[in-house]
Amino acid sequence: MATIPVEEIAHPPVVPQLGILTHLLHNRKFTIGLAVILVLLLVSLIGAQFVDPAERRTGAFPARQSPSWDAILGTTSLGQSVAIQLTQAIPNSMLVGFIAATLGTVIGAIIGLASGYFGGKVDALLRILIDVFLSVPPLLFLILIASLLRGVSVPTMALIIGLFAWAWPARAVRSQALSLKERQFVQVARLSGMGDLEIVFRELLPHMLTWLGANFLNAFITAILAESGLSILGLGPQRDTTLGIMLYWALRYGSILQNFWWWWLTPVILLMVLFLALYLVHLGLDEVGNPRLRAHG
Amino acid sequence: MFARYILERLAIFAATVFVSITIVFFMPRLVPGDPLGAVMSRLSSVGGSMSGQELIQEYRRRFGLDKSLMEQYFSFLSQLARGDLGYSILSFPSRVTDLIANAVPWTIGLLSLTTIISWVLGTLVGAIVGWTGGRNRFSQILVPLALLLYTTPYYILAIILIYLFAFYWPIFPLSGAYEFGARPDFSLDFITDVIHHGTLPALSIVLVSLGWWFLSMRSLIIAEQGADYIMWAEAKGLKSRRIFWAYAFRNALLPQATGLALSFAHVIGGALITEAIFAYPGIGFLIYNSIKGSDFPVIQGSVLLIIVSVAVANFAMDMIYPLIDPRIRTGSMR
Repeated sequence: MATIPVEEIAHPPVVPQLGILTHLLHNRKFTIGLAVILVLLLVSLIGAQFVDPAERRTGAFPARQSPSWDAILGTTSLGQSVAIQLTQAIPNSMLVGFIAATLGTVIGAIIGLASGYFGGKVDALLRILIDVFLSVPPLLFLILIASLLRGVSVPTMALIIGLFAWAWPARAVRSQALSLKERQFVQVARLSGMGDLEIVFRELLPHMLTWLGANFLNAFITAILAESGLSILGLGPQRDTTLGIMLYWALRYGSILQNFWWWWLTPVILLMVLFLALYLVHLGLDEVGNPRLRAHG
Repeated sequence: MFARYILERLAIFAATVFVSITIVFFMPRLVPGDPLGAVMSRLSSVGGSMSGQELIQEYRRRFGLDKSLMEQYFSFLSQLARGDLGYSILSFPSRVTDLIANAVPWTIGLLSLTTIISWVLGTLVGAIVGWTGGRNRFSQILVPLALLLYTTPYYILAIILIYLFAFYWPIFPLSGAYEFGARPDFSLDFITDVIHHGTLPALSIVLVSLGWWFLSMRSLIIAEQGADYIMWAEAKGLKSRRIFWAYAFRNALLPQATGLALSFAHVIGGALITEAIFAYPGIGFLIYNSIKGSDFPVIQGSVLLIIVSVAVANFAMDMIYPLIDPRIRTGSMR
C-alpha cells in the first residue's frame, strides 16, 4: 500500500496537536470511514447483548433457511443464524486487526527510532533486519506457524500476525527519525542536556503521530487480510467466529453451488465494506499528515 | 560507490535467505505443543505398511530429534544445500521437490500472464484518464471503481466471480486447470481447455491489480502534468498528443516499470489463496492440500521455496535497476 513520505514538517517543535484533530474531523474521507467502522462495531456489540446464548449453538435454528423474520440473514447448513454469527465475527475480526496493528506499530516504532536515531552499527544491523522482513511476505511465516499450532484462538492469531507486521512501520519511522534528528529543535534539546531517550520520546515521537496513525491503519488492514486469508486456507481460529472463519465454513459446505447466497455473501460484503472504510480513514490521515495532497483532494 | 551498492544488496540477499531459513528451522522446535512429535505420530498413523515404516525411519533420521539442536540445525542446512526437502507424508514416496516441481509451472504461468495483462491495461488507461483529468467523464466512474477493486482482497473477488460465472451463468468451469482426466500435452484441444479453466482465476487476479496500476499511473501522470518541462513543451506549441506520449508518458513509465519488476518477485507466492479457492493445481493449492492433510514437510518445503524465489527475484531486480536508473550507478540516490 502506498504511503507518500512526509518529507518536511515545517512546524516548530511543539506541534499543535489540536490542529491535527480538527483537520481530521473536517476531512470527509476520514470521518466517513471512521463512522462506518464505529457503526459496524457498535451495532454488532449492542446486537450481541440481545442474543440468547442458546441461540449461538449449532442447530439452534432450522438449517439452510433463506433470510426471514426469524433469521434476518438466513441460516447455515449447521443451523446457525448468520446474523448472530456476525455479532461475534465483526468485533473478533476488528480485535485481530487492533491487537496485531498495535503490536506491529509499537515494535516497528521502537526498532525504527533506535535505528534512525542512534545510527552507526545499530542502524546497519537493524536496517538489514528491516530489509529482510520487508522482502519476505509475512503470509509465508504465518502459514508455517499456524499449520504447526492448529486451532489457535483469536488473540493468539492476532499476536502472531502482529509479530510479523513491524517491518513497514519500522522503515517509515526510521526515515522520519533520520530527517528529524538533524533539525534545530533536536540540536537545542541535546545541548540543553536532554538524554537520548527523552529526546526520542518527547521531541521526535510527537512529530510522527499522524504518520504512525497511517502505518497503524495499514497494519490493521493487512492483519484482517491475513486473518481471513489464513482462515480460508483452513488455518484460522476455528473455534471462534471471525469474518474469515464464516467464509471458510461457507466455502467448505459448498454454499455457492447450493445457492445459499446469504451465507457466503454476508461476510464477503462486510469484508469489502470494512476494507473500504479503513482505506478511507487511511487516505484521510495521509491528506492531513501531508498537506501537499490536500490540494488534489 | 557502485561496488558498495552491489555489496550491500548482496549482504541483504544473503541475510534474507539465512534469516528466513533459520526462522523456518526453529519455528517447529520452539512453538509449544511439540509439533514435530505430532508429525511423527501422524506418520505412524499413516504407515502400518512397509513403506510407512521406511518413511518413519527416514523422518526419525531427518529431524534427528535425539541429537542436539545445533547438530539438527547443521544437518538441516546441509540437506537444503543439496536441494533435499524430504518426502511427502500424504503422497509417499513422492519427494517434496517433485510435488513442487509439478505445481510451480501452473503458478508461474497464471501469475506472470495476469501480472503483464493487468499492468499494460492499468498503465494505459491510468495514463489517459490522468492526462485528460476532469474533462473526462470516465474518470468520475473509473477512479472510485479502481479504488473499490484495489481495496477488495483478491480472494473475495474470486468468490464473487465463481458465483457469477461458474454458477449463475455457468460459462466457465468451477475449478481445476483442465478437464478432469485430460492428458497434459501441447494439442490445441488441451490448450483451449487450459485457457477456459484459467479465465476465472486470471480475471480475479487481473481485476484487483488493475485497480492499483490504474491509480498509480494516474497519479504519476498528474504529477508530471505540473512539471516545468511540460509547460515548456506547451509554450513551444507542441501538439498535446505528442507531449503526452513522448514526454509525460515516458517519464511516468519509469516508476511504473519498477513497480512491475517488483511485483514479479511475488509471482510464485502471489495468489496462494486464489489457487486454493479455484483448486488450481499450483503451489497455493499444494499448500492448501498439505494443510488439510497435515503434510508438514510439503508446507515447509513450499514456504522455503517461495521465500528463496522472492529473495532471488529481489536481488536480480536490485542488480538490473542501476542499468535503468543512472542515479543509482553514480551514487546520487541517497
